[in-house]
Amino acid sequence: MATAAHAESPRETVAHAVVLTDNADEQRRLVSGLAGNSDPDIPRLLNLWKESGFFIATAPAGGWQGLAEGAKVAVTLGDDKDADDKQAASVLATGAPLRDPAGQPVRLVATDLDNADTDFDLRLAMKTVLDLAAVTAADPVQRRQVVEQIGLAQDPAKLPVLRERVKVETDAHVQQALRVAIALLELRSEDAATQIAATNTLGAVRALSARDALTTLARETETTRPQVARAAQAAGKAIETHLQVVNFFGTLFRGLSLASVLLVVAIGLAITFGLMGIINMAHGELIAIGAYTTYLVQNLFGNGMALSPFGWSFRLPGLNAGGWFYESYFLFALPLSFLSAALAGVLLERCVIRFLYRRPLESLLATWGVSLVLQQLLRSVFGANNVQVYSPSWLSGHWTVFDVLLGWNRVFVIAFAVAIIAGTWALLTKTPFGLLIRAVTQNRAMAACMGVRTERVNVLTFAFGSGLAGLAGAFLAQIGNVGPSLGQNYIVDSFMTVVVGGVGNLFGTVISALGIGVTDQGLQQILGNPVLGKILVLCAIILFLQWKPAGLFVTRSRNLEG
Amino acid sequence: MRRNFSRSELIAVGVIALLGLIVLPALNSAGLISNFAINLWGKYLCYAVLAISVDLLWGYTGLLSLGQALFFSLGGYMLGMHLMLMIGKLGQYKSDLPDFMVFLGYTSLPTFWQPFRSFLFAALMILAVPGLLSGVFGYLAFRSRIKGVYFSILTQALTYAGSLMFFRNDLLMGGNNGFTDFKLLLGLDLRTPGVQRGLFIATVALLLLVYLGCRWLTMTKFGLVQRAVRDSETRVLFSGYAAANYKLFIFVLAAIIASLGGALYVPQVGIINPSEMTPDKSLEAVVWCAVGGRGTLFGPVLGAISVNALKSWATRAYPDSWLIILGGLFILVVLFLPGGIASVPGLLARTMRRRKKSDEPIAAVPATAVSAATEA
Repeated sequence: MATAAHAESPRETVAHAVVLTDNADEQRRLVSGLAGNSDPDIPRLLNLWKESGFFIATAPAGGWQGLAEGAKVAVTLGDDKDADDKQAASVLATGAPLRDPAGQPVRLVATDLDNADTDFDLRLAMKTVLDLAAVTAADPVQRRQVVEQIGLAQDPAKLPVLRERVKVETDAHVQQALRVAIALLELRSEDAATQIAATNTLGAVRALSARDALTTLARETETTRPQVARAAQAAGKAIETHLQVVNFFGTLFRGLSLASVLLVVAIGLAITFGLMGIINMAHGELIAIGAYTTYLVQNLFGNGMALSPFGWSFRLPGLNAGGWFYESYFLFALPLSFLSAALAGVLLERCVIRFLYRRPLESLLATWGVSLVLQQLLRSVFGANNVQVYSPSWLSGHWTVFDVLLGWNRVFVIAFAVAIIAGTWALLTKTPFGLLIRAVTQNRAMAACMGVRTERVNVLTFAFGSGLAGLAGAFLAQIGNVGPSLGQNYIVDSFMTVVVGGVGNLFGTVISALGIGVTDQGLQQILGNPVLGKILVLCAIILFLQWKPAGLFVTRSRNLEG
Repeated sequence: MRRNFSRSELIAVGVIALLGLIVLPALNSAGLISNFAINLWGKYLCYAVLAISVDLLWGYTGLLSLGQALFFSLGGYMLGMHLMLMIGKLGQYKSDLPDFMVFLGYTSLPTFWQPFRSFLFAALMILAVPGLLSGVFGYLAFRSRIKGVYFSILTQALTYAGSLMFFRNDLLMGGNNGFTDFKLLLGLDLRTPGVQRGLFIATVALLLLVYLGCRWLTMTKFGLVQRAVRDSETRVLFSGYAAANYKLFIFVLAAIIASLGGALYVPQVGIINPSEMTPDKSLEAVVWCAVGGRGTLFGPVLGAISVNALKSWATRAYPDSWLIILGGLFILVVLFLPGGIASVPGLLARTMRRRKKSDEPIAAVPATAVSAATEA
């Protein structure tokens, strides 16, 4: 057997160590020698060893290729067990099949071989190597996770591993995580000075993950080492303050994103209800139509889907797209959602609403009927259960800015809301069509006298408002469940948003959505209960309307009835 | 609108009273009408009471309230609290506390539940709780002159908030499951046909009382102002009437009527939970009223019974398309028959007259309440 005179690969080292069954010290030395090596093979090999995946074969009379009779070799067995329980053997050191002198692959029976055992000391050595291998993983995100876990486990035995790593770490985030983890481990130290230094480090970097550990430390050392307890309390307080700031900004951000959702949902209503004065209770179902269109587009980009409406079933073929093309389905879904909901809006306007322009209360009732019918149709076509819409990967990550978690989808909602508002505003104020809309909604009779085709403007305006609802649906599909009653969850909120903002005023809708969204999230944070927060917001709105009965921004007119 | 009871109307009411109070219960105790049928009709008639309360607001005062289901279930909940305490040790956990409280880990009855041991207190609360809630809400809403669709949207939000609240377990009102499994009312076993018959008679009596009371109210000068508010509130204001007070009174009255209906509904159906309280249920009651014919008092009764009978049949025969039927019916009625079923005889008579005297000019048809409300 050759001694390890030349530089061995980790694989060769392991193979070498496996056969040294009678020299446990040497085995341990070899395994420990692997520490700090970033070869990705090491964890796999060591784990396999621990799980008894290696065998020691002794060459029979005549020997094997490259092995004299009686020589021991570490082998792994393939999983192609034949009738005689024989499996193909490979040499561990090279990975090549084990061959007899004639060059034929050797097949062995597992029970005839010695299993490569591991004793307690060896496993301990392996664990150290494995831990270190984990903190040297090539992916910085994975590395950081491992380090954070080690820190939270607070096992002082891992301190040397971390101290080794912190010297060579290049990624700033991981470096930071390492320092926090080291400090966390040092909290368990017996030496008061080390403990105090560690608490000070944790306090200085505002390590949120150390909060519980510091509280525990303060409690445990209260009587034995008061100065440690004091330091821990001070650090805990600094972290607490930081946490409050983080929570505040987190709440603000969530409030903003909720406000954006409300805004996206309510903006269509601000057109149909605010400008046209139609109470469209089916607005929620138009949102659902947009969401289901997104679902449909997603499936058409994927494997297609089977539908069975009214006991009549058929299958839509899919494009079987993959990769970035599949991920881009959402970009196609957005305009299609707009169009499908707008089309539904045109039908709704032509078949029902145009008879009810002078009877707003009755338009409320008729459109509620429409909403029931649409809900049932969606249920019949797509099933009563929620369907799954997968967010493209470019919407499902997050950034962490100063410990505040910024989900990409939430950031996207905000950007999307801003884009929609800007687009709607531009359409209403900067285009000829917008001029017509404003003319007809402000004074229908006069507009008609001036030759505006009010009927057509009505249809187009309603279609536009409905299309916006469809866009909202495409959007909600990314952040929540899609089901037949999706729209019902938003209808009360969106009416509230429009009423509080002041009917007929887009800017008011924006402000009121912001107000309601941020208040809602703030109350949730304070009360720790989403439902109670919602109830309080509704009560607050009722009281708010005492103060400003016509909403935030009133469109003044001389009409008494208005 | 007739200013006093006509003979035919009195006869009709008398016949219905005779049927409902004496004949049907007698046939039931003789075994000719099933207990199931009596129970079902008791339910329909409770809905009819709710429908009248909607009509009083919408058909007569022009206030489309989407909060009537809230008041209806509040009445149910108030009686339900009493019934829950009357279960006593007969419940699953053999405890003095209602089962859901035992389940939530309570060992003693919360203070606000204590007085509900008394039936009288519960009965008082059936009147007081919806009365107070509607009074406060109505005062706030009418004071700031919230009307029309805004009023509808606000009452919808109120109902929504109410249902969210009752869905919560820590309100201690049974949460999601509400109250059920009632045993005794006034010492009588609720599960016997005799007691159910008594409840049916009580429901008929309540419906008749509510009908006659509302009929009387709408005939008085008060009723006249009420309809004037519906047709042109501004003119009523300029004539020196405090329209807000009239509206507030009607709103509170309607809430109490709905609550009474709910209180009788619960022991007959045997369950009350927050899903009865949703804005959708309110809208459903509005459908009954619209289908039957608003602006008349027998229309809503007719509507509540016929739509619910249709529902009972359709949910069994076509469970998947029931909502399409209801929604479609509603769209058609709103678009083509704004006066509901109640207006059908009048429409038929008019067309008949028109056929007969096609050469003579048609006498101006007196503007019905419906068309007037429509223009408002």
